[in-house]
Amino acid sequence: MPQVTIDNKVFDVEGQPKLLQFCLDVGVELPHFCYHPAMSIPANCRQCLVQIGTPVKDRETGEIKRDDNGDPIIQYFPKLMTSCSVDVSDGMVVKTHRSSDVVDRAQKDNLEFLLINHPLDCPICDQAGHCPLQIQSYKYGSEGSRFEFRKVHKPKKVMLGPRVMLDAERCINCTRCTRFTDEISKSHQLTIIERGVRNYPLTPPGVVFDEPYSMNVIDICPVGALTSVDFRFRARIWEMSSTPSITVTNAKGSNCEYWVRDNLVLRITPRQNRKVNEYWLPDEDRTAYHMFNENRPDGPQVRREGKLMRVGWQDAYRAAADRLNGVDRSKVLFLGSAHATVEDNYLLKQLAEAIGADVPVYIPHVEPGKADEWLVTDDRTPNANGCERLGIHPVDEALIRSKLEGGEIEAVYVMEDDPIGSGLFSEDELRDIPVILHPYHTTNETLAVADVALPAAMVVETVGTYVNVDGRAQRVRPAKAIQGVNRTLMMEMGASRQDKHGTPFDRWHNESNRIDCLPSWQVLPEIAESLGLALPKGSPKQLMRQIAETVDGFEGATYDAMGLSGVQLVEVGEIA
Amino acid sequence: MQPSNGAGTTKAGDWRNYKRVLLPPIRDLHQLAVYEKNGGYTALRSVLTDSKWDPKKVTDEVKASGLRGRGGAGFSTGMKWSFMPPVEPDKPRYLACNGDESEPGTFKDRQLMEYNPHLVFEGILIAAYAMSISTTYLYIRGEYADWIKHMEHELEKIYARGFVGKNIMKTDFSTEIVIHKGAGAYICGEETSLLESVEGKRAYPRIKPPFPAQKGLWARPTTVNNVESLACAPLIVNRGSEWFARLGPAKHPGPVLYGISGHVNRPGVYEYPTGMLITDLIDHVAGGMRGGKKLKALVPGGASVPVLRADMIEGVTMDAESLREAGSMMGTAGMLILDEDTDMVKFLRRVTHFYHHETCGQCTPCREGTGWLENLVTRIDDGEGNLRDLDLLLDLCDQMEGRTVCALADGAAWPVRNTIKRFRDEFEAKCRKSIFAAGVVA
Repeated sequence: MPQVTIDNKVFDVEGQPKLLQFCLDVGVELPHFCYHPAMSIPANCRQCLVQIGTPVKDRETGEIKRDDNGDPIIQYFPKLMTSCSVDVSDGMVVKTHRSSDVVDRAQKDNLEFLLINHPLDCPICDQAGHCPLQIQSYKYGSEGSRFEFRKVHKPKKVMLGPRVMLDAERCINCTRCTRFTDEISKSHQLTIIERGVRNYPLTPPGVVFDEPYSMNVIDICPVGALTSVDFRFRARIWEMSSTPSITVTNAKGSNCEYWVRDNLVLRITPRQNRKVNEYWLPDEDRTAYHMFNENRPDGPQVRREGKLMRVGWQDAYRAAADRLNGVDRSKVLFLGSAHATVEDNYLLKQLAEAIGADVPVYIPHVEPGKADEWLVTDDRTPNANGCERLGIHPVDEALIRSKLEGGEIEAVYVMEDDPIGSGLFSEDELRDIPVILHPYHTTNETLAVADVALPAAMVVETVGTYVNVDGRAQRVRPAKAIQGVNRTLMMEMGASRQDKHGTPFDRWHNESNRIDCLPSWQVLPEIAESLGLALPKGSPKQLMRQIAETVDGFEGATYDAMGLSGVQLVEVGEIA
Repeated sequence: MQPSNGAGTTKAGDWRNYKRVLLPPIRDLHQLAVYEKNGGYTALRSVLTDSKWDPKKVTDEVKASGLRGRGGAGFSTGMKWSFMPPVEPDKPRYLACNGDESEPGTFKDRQLMEYNPHLVFEGILIAAYAMSISTTYLYIRGEYADWIKHMEHELEKIYARGFVGKNIMKTDFSTEIVIHKGAGAYICGEETSLLESVEGKRAYPRIKPPFPAQKGLWARPTTVNNVESLACAPLIVNRGSEWFARLGPAKHPGPVLYGISGHVNRPGVYEYPTGMLITDLIDHVAGGMRGGKKLKALVPGGASVPVLRADMIEGVTMDAESLREAGSMMGTAGMLILDEDTDMVKFLRRVTHFYHHETCGQCTPCREGTGWLENLVTRIDDGEGNLRDLDLLLDLCDQMEGRTVCALADGAAWPVRNTIKRFRDEFEAKCRKSIFAAGVVA
């Protein structure tokens, strides 16, 4: 196997990697700015310079020349080379800043150059705290600067598009953003204008940077030049905690981080998963964070004398059981949800079975024409695939209507959806029959006729599993706390968070931002108990193990196996 | 020191009786008819029709002539041609003729395009034949609007005459020439950014490897040659490589256009063999120093090559070897002559301004460094500099040289380094005095 020596340590080389990528892969950190593994290599930041030598070969025989000790004679390139653009070759000897003063000096020099016209407005910059320029300047840069002149001034506030703002002074011209629009999203909406030190990225005349993936340039920008119009100046990076999870805006299940401060989700950024979304996240997934903070309900409600009244959870369970007991149990329509987790739908199906009603169905939310063959799908829900695998199928509207007219439906149990808002029923149709609802939002139109409302935890507050459009099972973790004490949620939160956020010890803590809701996997067994039925009562982790063992199409989908990147489930033929 | 006659020996032979070949003294030579009457396009005809000239033979002949590129780097032209990979049928190969003459002090290609355009075209066509080129892009800097028009006009004529296009001179060789107008950026003279510019992209130099011969225009094999280098090709074909190799010194032979500017009596473009004594060029070719002043400094080949002090040019001839020994380079042979009244700090201030203005901004050291250099030199020139600024300037040169994609950073750093090194007293005189008396600080 080919070998390469880096700082006197020998590494085996597989394939034909570029030197910088190889170094990063084997844990030899090298500073860099312009290099991004998904894009072409311009080698323009000149930060990853290293000294490279190759063994001297005999011109005629092609054999490696050796010195008296039998070691290969190494010939070094006269200039330092950018490691990002050099192919690793057998016998190559590399000296980084750890073993070469020349390289160390070159990296310091380059950082000095990068900073002379950089505004150094870190105290007000959104990137501060996770800024590659800031981090690498501290790590590899020299102290102070010898630059004693006026810095070059450029526009500080340029709206490139509706979601991305440019501060041209902070730009270090790595061209990651223009390469993203040229090579990845292919919208060609950004270009570098001007020349020399006045360079900065901008849209061509008459073009607005409004492509559906525009916000990715904010993540790949190695400085604070490109910022989110929405998130700008709203929170410092160290005040938030991030939780690895997935987005639920569509069926792709792109991996993401939820950034939370004071139990409010403030932004959503992509999390690398080569099998799903690589490094990217569509704008629609990122701007969806408002739904976790706004119009959230405040505790369970029960309709008394025509009005929804705030009650305690136990009262609400009993009220729900009373409503179900008051009708022919076999005529209860159970609506599952493609918004809800596999575990929740599984429990709902168990409840329907125990009551003796039909298998639940779900309301599809498909908007044809939305899909782009990348990370956006027509399906607006994250778990239709998971529902199908559980045997929960899309609702047959004509059948439901005829049943309703024929008096075959005496009560409706809606888990985490909005049948009136989505047009399945009208208010009048449901007015006279009991409706039990697990709503996410106070804007849920079915609340107008609901008899019992049991606010449901959203993806950022629960534990569970979603199956994306490609059949990949991925688990989510709580990113923010709900009211009350829930040991399972707290354990999961502790496992996914490295700081104390979400607890009363956090200085940002504000109790009113904790929503009084519960995950359906906690509510459903309680209702079953009130009905005198037994439902598996356990954590979603235990439930999922049970599902993986008993339901076809979920083999191997345990929490341990899913980890952070998910498990690809077997193909199931008849899934629509 | 006053350059004196006869010090050192010229390597240009009997240059006083030299018969010009690149710019022969023929009236209206730019007209196709006149050019043809004076033996024009015979080299192309013989290459295309005479069976002894297969493409490899043409390349070998150019290689044997010892022609070194006239664009500045001085690389063997024949060697460059031989780097082209074997021909793949039905796949294009390109030649780019670099007429983006932007180096300060260089104005020789303009002269060729104005007075002997067909020699350039004939050279392009011979090179196209030698390397089986499908299309040549003649890249002319945008500021040369008149010469672009002029070249387009003459190109139309040879298209009409059947010397370029399909089945040239009724042979089965076909090739096209396209004139591409630059938009006024110095960086486009760098070969790979010239290619980017032709492709319609922002002219950022490419990283090498791959070299243009492997992946050039639209990732196809491409050769980039200077206008003057290609103009030598018909001469080599007509008169033989031996004739060419015997002109001037053996290692850097041939006719060359010296573009002499600055404080001389008769500035202009002069054609002589390589290896001319610098003193001969100043005193006898360019009519001596203006106003009888003394020579102070000289830049032999465009602004980016190191400046020479008057006392360094004794016996130095204009060829790569001799100039290297003297501590400079041949460059484009665009000579800037500076007399004793020249303020070298001001001179450097103008040079650093140029590179600051022209850096493309792709690589960090060049984008940031060129401006910093100008800032420092300007401060010194304004009398507000400190002695430590000189050391900082030299430090910055170290930080820029050899650390960028293309050679612009080198070209920006060399004049700074060498002007300070060779005229340090002038720079020190302009700096603020140290607050410590000399010798007091231990």
